[in-house]
Amino acid sequence: MSRLEAKKPSLCKSEPLTSERVRATLCVLKGILTSSYGPSGRLKQVHSGFGGCVCTTSQSSALLSNLPVTHPILKILTTSMQNHVSCFRDCGLFTAILCCNLIENVQRTGLTPTTVTKLNQHLLSLCTSYLKSESCGCRILVDFSSPQTLLCLVRSIVTSKPACMLTREERDHLSALILRAFLLTIPENTKDRLILGNSIIVPLKGQRVLDSSVLPGILIEMSEIQLMKILPIKKSEAFKVALFCASLSGDFSDTGEGTMVVTYGVSLENAVLEQLLSLGRQLVSDHVDLVVCQKVIHPSLKQFLSMHRVIAIDRVGVALMEPLSKVTGTQPIGSIGSISPSSYGSVKDLCPAKFGFKHFLHLIPYEATICSLLLCNRNDTAWDELKLTCQTALHVLQLTIKEPCVLLGGGCTETHLAAYIRHKTCNEPESILKDDGCTQTELQLSTEAFCSALESVAGSLEHDGGEVLTDMKYGHFWSAHAEAPSIVNWPDLLSRCGCGLYNSQEELHWSFLKSTRHPFVPQTYLPHEATGSADNLTLDCFTAKLSGLQVAVETANLILDLSYVIEDKN
Amino acid sequence: MSRGGPRKPGLRPPGPCRPREEGRLSPGNSFPEALTSQLPPPAPPLPPPGPPPSGGCLLPPALRAMAATGSVEAALQVAEALETIVSRCLGPEGRQVLCTKPTGEVLLSRDGGRLLGALHLEHPAARLVVAYVSSHLRKTGDGAKTFVVFLCHLLRGLHAMTDGEQDSLASKHMQTHRRHWKNCCRWKLISQFLLTFQTHRLDYIVDHYLSRHFGSIFSSSTKERTLCRSSLESLLAAYFGGRVGRNNRDFMSRLTCDYFFKCMARERGSEEVLDLVDDYFVELSVGVTGLPVSDSRITPGLVLPRDFSVYRPADGDIRIVIVTETVQPLFSTSGSEFILRSEAQFQTSRFWIMERTKAIMKHLQSQNVKLLLSSVKQPDSVIYYSGLAGISVVECLSPEEVSLIRRITGLSPLALPHASSQDEICNTVLVKFCKPLTFRSKRYVHLGVISTSSFIPHCVVLCGPVQGLVEQHRDALHGAFKMLRQLLKDLDLNYLIQTSDQNHTSSPLVYNESDPLPEVVNGSIQRPRQDTVLRNKSKPAKTQTYSDLVVPSVELETCIIPCSAPKVTPTGTYQTDETLRCFSPTKTRINGDNEPFIESNSANSTENTRREISYENLQITKIPGKGNLLPVREKTLEICAAQGHCFSTIPAGCVLPVGGNFEILLHYYLLHYAKKCQQSEETMVSMIIANALLGVPKILYKSKKGNCSFPQIYVRTLHALQTHQPMVSSQTGLESVAGKYQLLTSVLQCLTKILTIDLVINIKRQPQEIYDQDSEEEV
Repeated sequence: MSRLEAKKPSLCKSEPLTSERVRATLCVLKGILTSSYGPSGRLKQVHSGFGGCVCTTSQSSALLSNLPVTHPILKILTTSMQNHVSCFRDCGLFTAILCCNLIENVQRTGLTPTTVTKLNQHLLSLCTSYLKSESCGCRILVDFSSPQTLLCLVRSIVTSKPACMLTREERDHLSALILRAFLLTIPENTKDRLILGNSIIVPLKGQRVLDSSVLPGILIEMSEIQLMKILPIKKSEAFKVALFCASLSGDFSDTGEGTMVVTYGVSLENAVLEQLLSLGRQLVSDHVDLVVCQKVIHPSLKQFLSMHRVIAIDRVGVALMEPLSKVTGTQPIGSIGSISPSSYGSVKDLCPAKFGFKHFLHLIPYEATICSLLLCNRNDTAWDELKLTCQTALHVLQLTIKEPCVLLGGGCTETHLAAYIRHKTCNEPESILKDDGCTQTELQLSTEAFCSALESVAGSLEHDGGEVLTDMKYGHFWSAHAEAPSIVNWPDLLSRCGCGLYNSQEELHWSFLKSTRHPFVPQTYLPHEATGSADNLTLDCFTAKLSGLQVAVETANLILDLSYVIEDKN
Repeated sequence: MSRGGPRKPGLRPPGPCRPREEGRLSPGNSFPEALTSQLPPPAPPLPPPGPPPSGGCLLPPALRAMAATGSVEAALQVAEALETIVSRCLGPEGRQVLCTKPTGEVLLSRDGGRLLGALHLEHPAARLVVAYVSSHLRKTGDGAKTFVVFLCHLLRGLHAMTDGEQDSLASKHMQTHRRHWKNCCRWKLISQFLLTFQTHRLDYIVDHYLSRHFGSIFSSSTKERTLCRSSLESLLAAYFGGRVGRNNRDFMSRLTCDYFFKCMARERGSEEVLDLVDDYFVELSVGVTGLPVSDSRITPGLVLPRDFSVYRPADGDIRIVIVTETVQPLFSTSGSEFILRSEAQFQTSRFWIMERTKAIMKHLQSQNVKLLLSSVKQPDSVIYYSGLAGISVVECLSPEEVSLIRRITGLSPLALPHASSQDEICNTVLVKFCKPLTFRSKRYVHLGVISTSSFIPHCVVLCGPVQGLVEQHRDALHGAFKMLRQLLKDLDLNYLIQTSDQNHTSSPLVYNESDPLPEVVNGSIQRPRQDTVLRNKSKPAKTQTYSDLVVPSVELETCIIPCSAPKVTPTGTYQTDETLRCFSPTKTRINGDNEPFIESNSANSTENTRREISYENLQITKIPGKGNLLPVREKTLEICAAQGHCFSTIPAGCVLPVGGNFEILLHYYLLHYAKKCQQSEETMVSMIIANALLGVPKILYKSKKGNCSFPQIYVRTLHALQTHQPMVSSQTGLESVAGKYQLLTSVLQCLTKILTIDLVINIKRQPQEIYDQDSEEEV
């Protein structure tokens, strides 16, 4: 019998948040996250002495998955953020920074966790109901008749990832490409349910970013020799495609659990090959032009097919199967017996293509929701970052289709929301206090902690030592350059607010974000013409940000509520 | 290692657990001191969980005495340490605990049972407590934290009481050994008093005094037993108040309440619904991480956590079948041999296999089957042909999922060899819909199965930012259904009526597993029979094939039937509907209205032909024709005059307001009882229990100030009781009386066990299982 090691008793710590070590590590984590936030965020190089590739990034998904976190509390925090990111792909840093800020601020107030979590929940529900309401002053409904809003949204996302190393021109090009790729995945005529297709990102490293492009259909990569073999492709009206998911290599595995006795002289290989060839004959007689197999095609069958001018492509892998079956409009064939004629698909055209140094066979569909995004960037790390960015942008566009609105970006939503909450709790505290048995002071303290957490998220957008301000009319976020003289004329120094909606030439009053202000009512009801005219707004995904806000507050509440940490040391 | 007293290093080989007890359990800064420094060192641990190399070890005699003197003190210290941990998570103001697993998983919990388990305690007393707590949890699903608090207060009371005596007893001349012996005797005596009190007096007090305060979660307006939604909501709110984070309490209780009422087709079917939900909760819940908790919701139908292997959209009549083997015939099955003589034969066989698969699919298509559920992985060709036939396929269903679908719909798996014959397949059922469902870019199968029972299938989708939180909510929800299931059952009480004759009071009816007490008079040893299965059938015919379609669970209830061999006389008092007498060698007919059969397992297995079993307080379960079970329970209060036994029940659905009401009430009545008591031991025991009961409300009101502080509440409640005024409760929640009562008895049993243990023997192997000596091997 194998030896079992005796269980070790667990390690039990009470009030984990009060420990100096936890505070210090939380602080370090917050430092890492805040310094990477936003378009001017600093890059992080994640590097392992054991080798492997170097990762230069400022994105939460790459950062959080690579950070070695040992303390259980930090683990909770990072997994929570990672879960959020894997759900929405956007607003990961926002969520993480807000969560860290909240924990830190609340600890400073010295309120009991019970009160704080209760009040935080109330403040959160104020935020969410405001953001969802008609009167929300930081939300824009998406107008699908013009691409302007969506383009702004994509551009904001691409801009906020400095590790992609893009110039302005490249950013614009790429934003347009991403939007085009997304639009290609929307089916032209739908009945009741909209089922989006997908865009396949095809890597093309070492090329200029401006060489990136979008093509409808699928690109199957193959070597030049392979491509030469199948050339020239005979032209026809439509190309008949047979898509196999079963192996055509002549293997024979499913014999059952019993034994199989083969008489001497009987060759199963020959038998199977004979069957494969008869399948080939059927394919030829059915006038199939293209045979695509997920697994391996037997060389003899391949040769047989090419002799009859049928193009055979094998080993395309399971990832391509679903797009292929969408492009060809058929179901993969899982049998090497007889094939019913209804299981053949078709494509409009087949053509060889060369991008950079890679050769592809391009399958052009009649009408499909699949497109290929050829993504170029100069080196591996930048390409990886760019790929993540593209995936984020595409996903955010999908989310925006589901919930057709966007939030103002550039820190403006955060400061606006903070101003709204301050005003609300100052003027109508009864609604919160009545059912909870908290005092007015407790509410004020906790509101201050909550709002300044939101504001310092916005403040983390500024990395160059400049001043961060908010105006007293809209509650938007403004930042000024660091090299400003001490006494300045604010309207001259500030040009536009964070999201780009307002300019400084209006009659506005500013106040430093860190300073205490008198609560004011930020202007609600965003006028429609204001958003229509501005063509260069910074925007955020509504769904991702809203959920990020909720997740951040819930996670902070969770961590603040911890009374013990029991570590199993086995 | 200096505080171990007269321990010699050579005599106790340092086991793997010993040095760590100091090192590991010494935790961070403000961990309760007792577990670190005051842990009674000499008590040798119970067998460690993992078996280190063999070789038992004998304790030196000096140590033996040392080992046991501390049994109560040691237990108290352990319990106090546990109490400090647990009390911070107790009640609505309790906080969360983060547990990490060696695998790196992080778990959030306020569940007492999980917390105690996560501590991996080594101290023998602690392990005893944990074992008792977990067995209590298995039964009721609630009350682990209260268990610890209560036990701690009981031990504290006992300790305080005996402290004074001990000094006088322990004169310096007395040998340690003898003193220990004396101690043991005294503890043994006390434990006997406790046990007697628990089995005889406690039920009496609950039944006579406490019951007048009970409320019910059934609405009182109608004659029918219908669940009152608002009561259920406050019951659940109180339950979740102790189980999940404060912010999610109301949300979770509303969700649970919604779920319960949505699943219930009729008002009467609540018990069946609860049984099913409790049994299949894992399959009925889906966890989604990365979303806020408030996104949790209830979806109609079943959600299977996998994608379609092939999906063909279908409308109208969607029929489904279940298969448990591959549809495609194989060359050879297990144990058979396939002899291949020629290549042509091989090709024909493969051709035949393909054709047959195709034929089966065609046949299914002709029967309007649109979905094939398979518990195994199907070959590619099956997927292909079913796609061609317009049949969607879901593969790799777990056995639990299959059995859930079978239980809901009554569908039995398709027998494949007959499937292609031209006759109609009867093993299909209709579903309302069958479509893919996506949560956070993961695909699920959403199945609108139609129920044949009173359970309307719904799934609960639990969202949370981290897996640990989702797990916590899932556990809490499951526990809530366990608690409700327990609540909606009657709980039997039985006790002895106080008579003037002292003999009766000292002949206890021992129901628990502890050794029979020596003072049993009349020589009537009454053994419980736990293995008697009561089967009820609607027809008197002896049909053994019990179709799963009609009644999912055959063994409805296990009755504990005390069979007292020597003196049962056929008296007329037993001839009622509820109490049935039977003379049973094998099978017995019972004269009743519906003439049910009672098959007694014990009667079948033993050859004792002349046995008389008296069924007391029997619950008859009638099965109406359509296969739904509506247990009809009638409360009986029956007094067997000869012995003074009294049988009663806490009826199903009894509740009390939350916030220590049960404890304070019982405290009051115990004090009241203690005053009337004739025996000093009884007075003492009831005083100890009464005082210990206050421990829980003390913790609950710890953070409250002013008018709501514990002394205020206590004085007000007592005043109200004395003047017979209605009690006012500051909190709105409700809690189950049966659960509390069971908790109390479990704690008392645990305490008796602790008190009766005089020596802990440390062995180095896993304890051997003790086999029954009278097993069949001898025959």
